[in-house]
Amino acid sequence: MSSTIFYRFKSQNKNSKIAFDGTGLTVFDLKKEIININKMAPATDFNLSLSNPDTDEEYKDDNQVIPRSSFVIARRYPSSRVGKGNASRYIAGKPRVSKTGRGNLAWDNHNK
Amino acid sequence: MISVDSKSDDNESLRFFCLGGGNEVGRSCHIIEFKGKTVMFDAGVHPGFSGLNALPFYDEYDLSKVDILLISHFHLDHAASLPYVMQHTNFKGRVFMTHPTKAIFRWILGDFVRITSIGEGVSATVYNDDDLADAFDRIETIDYHSTLEIDGIKFTAYHAGHVLGAAMFFVEIGGLKVLFTGDYSRVKDRHLYSAEVPPEKPDVLICESTFGIATFENREEAENRLTRLVHGAVSNGGRVLLPTFALGRAQELMLVLDEYWSENPDLENIEIYFCSALARKCMTVYKTYVNMMNEEIRRRFKTENMNPFNFKYIKTLRSLESFEDFGPCVVIASPGMLQNGTSRELLERWAPDPRNALIITGYSVEGTMAKTILTEPLEIPSSNNPDIMIPRRLSVDEISFAAHVDYEQNSQFIDLVSPKNIILVHGEINPMGRLKSALLSKYAKFRKTKREVKVFTPRNCDDLRIQFQGMRVAKALGN
Ligand SMILES: [Zn+2]
Ligand SMILES: [Zn+2]
Repeated sequence: MSSTIFYRFKSQNKNSKIAFDGTGLTVFDLKKEIININKMAPATDFNLSLSNPDTDEEYKDDNQVIPRSSFVIARRYPSSRVGKGNASRYIAGKPRVSKTGRGNLAWDNHNK
Repeated sequence: MISVDSKSDDNESLRFFCLGGGNEVGRSCHIIEFKGKTVMFDAGVHPGFSGLNALPFYDEYDLSKVDILLISHFHLDHAASLPYVMQHTNFKGRVFMTHPTKAIFRWILGDFVRITSIGEGVSATVYNDDDLADAFDRIETIDYHSTLEIDGIKFTAYHAGHVLGAAMFFVEIGGLKVLFTGDYSRVKDRHLYSAEVPPEKPDVLICESTFGIATFENREEAENRLTRLVHGAVSNGGRVLLPTFALGRAQELMLVLDEYWSENPDLENIEIYFCSALARKCMTVYKTYVNMMNEEIRRRFKTENMNPFNFKYIKTLRSLESFEDFGPCVVIASPGMLQNGTSRELLERWAPDPRNALIITGYSVEGTMAKTILTEPLEIPSSNNPDIMIPRRLSVDEISFAAHVDYEQNSQFIDLVSPKNIILVHGEINPMGRLKSALLSKYAKFRKTKREVKVFTPRNCDDLRIQFQGMRVAKALGN
């Protein structure tokens, strides 16, 4: 556990960190870790987004790698419908690999 | 005179923002903004969710803007995220609650921290004992019927019934008047006042809608059904489990059972236990605050020099370790929704025996065992190991002693308050929707007139704005 990524929920006044081995974590794994550490499962009613605090840009691609020692802002917000929160995807372990268009999501099932 | 505009940012529009408790029961947290002032009502947790996800959606609001936070009562779904707000966010406002709420808050949240710490410190990410202690010291108190004015925000606390210390808050900012009911009840029970109608009429009523358009069984029938069921089960050699929150309905049920036991000598050898780590502390607070309860309780206390909370037949237990489970008995145990802890442990232990009885007396939130078991499943999952299923043969009954309002009581109260804008909160989507329809059709005759009534049912994080163009008039009337 030599590496860390720092994060802070938008409403919080202190930073937290995730420890791991390696040079970085994918957005998918980072979200999964944040959900686990904060005991947020089952999580059917909310979405979790991560963004870059400097540019305010959201990390939308689950496969993007966040390098170690980075700092990200996490935000929990209601899903449009109960049972439709994106957070449940990170618990189920099915990353979204590409977005080919609205309503047409490809799923990677290698974790199954 | 009043128009609704979702985009308007005008100084005279009231912004209502629900961080929790919008189209749901649990994690109540509502914010109003008017003329640059911000008031927040309640800071609860959701009993159906865990960890950080049990909190209102705090990431969606800049809490440093909040001037005043008013806590309606000590229930977890209204108060349990307060230490988080005060310690772990940029909140800088002042916090108020009534004296009994504050007294009980300390014990309840201490218990909450302890329970949620079991199993790898869930609460560590939410808050711990130190956070609770620090937050507690900064909470200010308000008496019923007293009005405080801070930085142009005037607020008054009224009796809400419901539980000891529960308050409705009447808030006035720049001539605009808002009444927040919190959870409230209009039936005078054995120890509490019923909710009061404030002397002034608010422009906006933020109202609970827990039971939607349901009608409650009258109190006497509910008591009869409860005592008959309990009597039947224990005479049959069964054990009766009454899961309730440690404070509130538990005390009311104990008053009912203690009286019934004294009238039925054949029950003398059957024990009634109140099993709660909080039990003793709670009873002390209840005994202390007899003066804030209704006339009957105070009369007995004064004239007969008898504290009704010195029960004759009810024994308190700190935990199940000291409980000798040898035969028929009645146990009142928390939590009320059987999520974990004592009530859940007893349920799992007693579920296989058909002589035993479970009686649900409160409101059951979506996602909790109490809600699930009302469908009478043949087996239930063990809470320690969800892969293990336990057969359920004990009887399951629901007898509502919920200290909320039913449709009749709610709509009568709304008539008396006669607001032009009603914001419904604290209700699941369907009951809330039905209540909205019922109110709208009731007030349909006023449509397009000066007395038109608007009803809103915002979801969490919906941005609701209500425009007030005649504010100067309202102010003149108010003064
Ligand atoms: Zn309540
Ligand atoms: Zn409530």
